[in-house]
Amino acid sequence: MRHIVRSRDFREGFVEMLPACIGLAPFGVVCGVGAAAAGADWLGALGLSAIVFSGAAQIVATQMLAAGAPFAVIVLTAAVLGLRLLMYSAAMAPLVKPLPVRWQRGLAFVLSDQAFAASLRRFSRDDDRLAAARHFMGCGAALWGGWQIACMAGFLAGNLIPPAWSLEFAVPLCFLALVAPLFRDMPSVLAAICAGIAVLALAHLPMKLNLVAAGMIGIAMGTCADLARERWKAR
Amino acid sequence: MEGALKLWAVIVAVGALNYLSRLSFIAFFARRSMPPLLARALKYVPAAMLTALIVPMIVEAKGGAIDLASSKVMAAVIAGTVAFVWRNTLATLGAGMAALWLLQWLRP
Repeated sequence: MRHIVRSRDFREGFVEMLPACIGLAPFGVVCGVGAAAAGADWLGALGLSAIVFSGAAQIVATQMLAAGAPFAVIVLTAAVLGLRLLMYSAAMAPLVKPLPVRWQRGLAFVLSDQAFAASLRRFSRDDDRLAAARHFMGCGAALWGGWQIACMAGFLAGNLIPPAWSLEFAVPLCFLALVAPLFRDMPSVLAAICAGIAVLALAHLPMKLNLVAAGMIGIAMGTCADLARERWKAR
Repeated sequence: MEGALKLWAVIVAVGALNYLSRLSFIAFFARRSMPPLLARALKYVPAAMLTALIVPMIVEAKGGAIDLASSKVMAAVIAGTVAFVWRNTLATLGAGMAALWLLQWLRP
């Protein structure tokens, strides 16, 4: 472990990710605020960000806990949201194939789109796969560490800032920052519109099941639109 | 389940699911490629799921009624435009919160 952390590749990856850490900090702070709003203690808030290590899943978990949704529905909703990680996993798989299993398991834990984008260049350039893996670990360590600091700062702020500031509104704003740039693509727009209408139309469903149901409807509509667009182009 | 216990159960279950998703094609399905239809569908997970989460937070007034003319909806439209053009989290947060505070102050 020590020789990995001391290597030049690890250090380079770590330093390369520091600007991305600053970029992610506002989202992390909001996740921490969400944990505070759900009534978590500091250990629970830290456990959530350290183990789950996914902003969207953390917010879903805290919001649904605060709303009193049952355990199974919270996990189901987070599981559908986490499906996008399959995409990163599939993209990463050919790059890490030659590595030892131990490395694969470690790298998977810190797999995120930022670390992936930064290391993709390294993996395609370096013949030395282990050097690229150390670089990826450095990226992941910086992102993971920065994320914990941002979430804890948010947790502390969430307990101090008065409710009159409407800080809870920062949660949908963070999601908007993630989702609005996707609307340059027609099927994504359709997926979002359908999911948005469905979540309100199905609001009578018990146990907050409308979230996961609307998500599935949106995914299905986006996929159909994507297929239709391809047919149209092929004509 | 009560408070802290339920939180930790969610942390462990969601953490394990996320880790298994990250590990999926690296470890379990390493020898096969992703089915094309699945690859296509996964592209729309963020747009659909995130919108399903955002919309109720913005349009639902206290008590669960839907209000499409609230300060929150207007602030979200402004923040969404900023996010679409500049793709920056901090700018989106700043614009959205500033718009909300201003609108709440103008229309009490």
